[in-house]
Amino acid sequence: MGYGSTAPDDSILSMMDECEKALLGVIKPCAIYHVFDIQPCDDGVAVCGTSLVLKGKAVSEHLAGCVKCVMLAATLSAQADRVIRRYEATDMTRAVMADFLASAAVEQVCDMVDEQVRNEFSDHFQTWRFSPGYGDLPLDIQGEFLDVLQAQKRIGLNATGNNILTPRKSVTAVIGLSDHDIPKGRQGCAACNMREVCQFRKRGDHCGI
Amino acid sequence: MGFRELLKNKEFVILDGAMGTMLQAKGLKMGETPEVMNIERPEWLLDIHRQYIEAGSDVIYANTFGANRHKLAKCGFSVDKIIGEGIKLARKAVEGTDTLVALDIGSIGQMLEPTGTLKFEEAYDIFKEMVIAGREADLVVFETMTDLYELKAAILAAKENCDLPIMCTMTFEENMRTFTGVDISAMCLTAEGLGVDAVGVNCSLGPKELYPVVEKICRWTKLPVVVKPNAGLPDPVTNEYNCSAEEFAEFAEALIPLGIKVIGGCCGTDPAYIASLKKMLDGKKYVQRDVHIPAVCCSATDVVVIDQPRIIGERINPTGKKRFKQALLEGDIDYILGQAIEQIDAGADILDVNVGLPAIDEKAMMVRAVKALQGVVDVPLQLDSTIPEVMEAALRVYNGKPIVNSVNAEEKSLNTVLPLVKKYGAAVVGLTLDENGIPKTADERFKLAEKILHRAMAIGIRKEDVYIDCLTLTASAEQENVMQTVNAVHRVKEELGLRTVLGVSNISFGLPSREIVNHNFLMMCLTSGLDLPIMNPNIASMTATVRAYKLLTNIDKNSVEFIAHYGGDTSSPAPKAEKKSDVDLPYAIEHGLKGEGAEITAKLLETTDSMVIINEMLVPALDKAGEQFEKGKIFLPQLIQTAGVAQACFEVIKQKMLADGGSSVSKGKIILATVKGDIHDIGKNIVKVLLENYGYEVIDLGKDVDYQTVVDAAIENDVHLVGLSALMTTTLVSMEETIKLLRANNVDCKIMVGGAVVTPDYAEQIGADFYSKDAKQSVDIARQVFGN
Repeated sequence: MGYGSTAPDDSILSMMDECEKALLGVIKPCAIYHVFDIQPCDDGVAVCGTSLVLKGKAVSEHLAGCVKCVMLAATLSAQADRVIRRYEATDMTRAVMADFLASAAVEQVCDMVDEQVRNEFSDHFQTWRFSPGYGDLPLDIQGEFLDVLQAQKRIGLNATGNNILTPRKSVTAVIGLSDHDIPKGRQGCAACNMREVCQFRKRGDHCGI
Repeated sequence: MGFRELLKNKEFVILDGAMGTMLQAKGLKMGETPEVMNIERPEWLLDIHRQYIEAGSDVIYANTFGANRHKLAKCGFSVDKIIGEGIKLARKAVEGTDTLVALDIGSIGQMLEPTGTLKFEEAYDIFKEMVIAGREADLVVFETMTDLYELKAAILAAKENCDLPIMCTMTFEENMRTFTGVDISAMCLTAEGLGVDAVGVNCSLGPKELYPVVEKICRWTKLPVVVKPNAGLPDPVTNEYNCSAEEFAEFAEALIPLGIKVIGGCCGTDPAYIASLKKMLDGKKYVQRDVHIPAVCCSATDVVVIDQPRIIGERINPTGKKRFKQALLEGDIDYILGQAIEQIDAGADILDVNVGLPAIDEKAMMVRAVKALQGVVDVPLQLDSTIPEVMEAALRVYNGKPIVNSVNAEEKSLNTVLPLVKKYGAAVVGLTLDENGIPKTADERFKLAEKILHRAMAIGIRKEDVYIDCLTLTASAEQENVMQTVNAVHRVKEELGLRTVLGVSNISFGLPSREIVNHNFLMMCLTSGLDLPIMNPNIASMTATVRAYKLLTNIDKNSVEFIAHYGGDTSSPAPKAEKKSDVDLPYAIEHGLKGEGAEITAKLLETTDSMVIINEMLVPALDKAGEQFEKGKIFLPQLIQTAGVAQACFEVIKQKMLADGGSSVSKGKIILATVKGDIHDIGKNIVKVLLENYGYEVIDLGKDVDYQTVVDAAIENDVHLVGLSALMTTTLVSMEETIKLLRANNVDCKIMVGGAVVTPDYAEQIGADFYSKDAKQSVDIARQVFGN
């Protein structure tokens, strides 16, 4: 919410607690993932056994040296959108808070998947999560990405005609799995398409991935 | 034998098993469009269908599940072609057998508004196209639905475009709801109301886990119940299902005593599962259910049984409310939503929705209001209009089983309203009046209630769905007739066994201390059998009367509800940070004290001109907050909070100006829109709040706004500043297109743009006049444009 290192005052904190409770009371977070063998191809990386090709340079670099990838989809469910919408009609302060909290929450759901993958493939090294829309990985693979995972049926996750995920607080991403250590330099701002507008970068900070 | 005869004559109807699982086993890749195999691999389909017929399916589903125009867009085949071929293949497979062919239709794959961008009407068109393409089938199946609203569009499309029987199944999770939160009973009530032939559950879980879901479905519908479970639960890594064909049949057997009629398999099942089911069902008898569906209405998520007094909130109605009328004229939906939420927080169980005002397009506003309300509130709605076209439009877009307010005993009313109630499966309020007006005596009103009931039942409306309003007359004008109303309520309830509804507030019209009269009259009516008081729940004594009644009549067992609401009264009141006398307007704004801000404004208005309050108190306080925000001394939530207080103050000023007969405050009109394709609108909404609190009139076009809509709104309202927002790189192009179209139409306006991915350079490049980095800056831009 832009506070950075400044601590929000008590009234803001208690409002946030209230928004958190409102969200936690109704959301139904869920995630699915599936592991695929991958193979580099002319225009990107082919996901074996599916019709999906992860197109572009950025994802090729991201998955360079990886033998498998985890495709994951996570959502907080449509109830999160409803909480935010309701606040928007009555109290924008809480709407903004709930929106921020929900964004953070869906990242936490993804972190849990990361952790599960780490445990399950403890003999592999893994990359950070790379999502459609990052770098030159086109957003319009979103539909096929969801189809491969049967995300609509299994967790109720869809994409609009413009490839925006709905429910809104949702994530799709690939995690590369490699037999070898992955160089640190491949993680960070260079591949991020938010780098021009990133609030962290503006402060000389880093988001952590 | 057709499907309906099959349901009547066979003990059980056996469906087929999974299609996707079978196609994948034949070599279909994940992510490929299965329906394209109708063209590319017809032999696969014939083989799969035949295997299921061989195994014992009475009905097979054609391979048409995802053959909608949205999902087929990427494959280059038309809906007509894919569905046509799919049905043909199934027909070929059943040749020489009694097996029936179902046109199988799944969910579109895009969410409906407001979470998604697909409009209800568009969803209807998509399903209509599929239904027409598949008319050669023996029945239509809608399955794997998670959104009741989408299912309603589908059922209407089938009902209105073919004569085939309809079976529908939704997907429920372990929490007994779908992913979008749909309640099992809400599905049953809505689907049965719309006139389908069978209803149930598919996919979701295995037959074992579905037991409680099936049990609840069997309690909430009189229709044949369908169960098409997965082969157990999938392994999270391998996706393999954990239930064998034998176990599947074993668990399914346990569902028979619940009263299921139709059974098949979903994901992970194959012909072996169907054969196993067939074997298990051999010689078994269908268990007849004795189901009584009570008087009830619902939204998609909340079911309200009228088994005790339920409060219908009356505040969404412009009659006698200047501020509400103003909101309708300005198309201010947020005001209506605010009224809704306030009533629910105060205790309303159902909301009456009336937006009738001669100066506006009531039908369009009704549709807008119903859609917006069901996007944020869970309580069922009572649709209130005297115009049949408005009522039908509202019934169409309502998600659930609503109450229609109202029909009366006049022939014209009975003939136009009741068929609508029947078609859309609603409940209806019947007013005891006819061509001769409101009868004086309880006896005559009782007779009219009887007439309405008989006419409703004659066209197939359930008795439980008829609620009678015996009509309140004002005590000041017709004191001698007050008891006629109370007695009529009693007789309708006792002798006809119907639910009763009554607008109670009119009783005190023209009297002093109306509140005292109202809540005493309410108690008299409740005691005589009133179920549904239409009232203002925001008046504490009224809501308290209902709660006290429930306590005293032992409805509210152990006084749980009563204590929950009033038990806190003895504890210490919430600590107030400041003493009222210390708080002035700037202080209230700075500290986010909404209630205090509004109170102080009301007081100030007694002595101070409203424009002085705005310009000399509100605006400087907001400026100060803006300045602190820019300096990083306060942060976004606090900035919006100050705006929230200012909004409350403005509301008071607005009310006062309207009461004085003036127009509302406006320093200039501004259009705001989140561009076509984008649905991230929180940023735009923050800008809106801030601009409004500086006295600008904001015309909020919402999200995913067509280019032309922006142009039309700007011209129609003579707007000179347009703000466009986009959050995604992929929708920036819509921003550019909107600007192009505004310029091409020579709209005399400045354009400001903003949103996460917009940069000053880009803003210039696409021809915007201003780049706004945040909400505060948009205010500065507005001031510059309007010179105030």
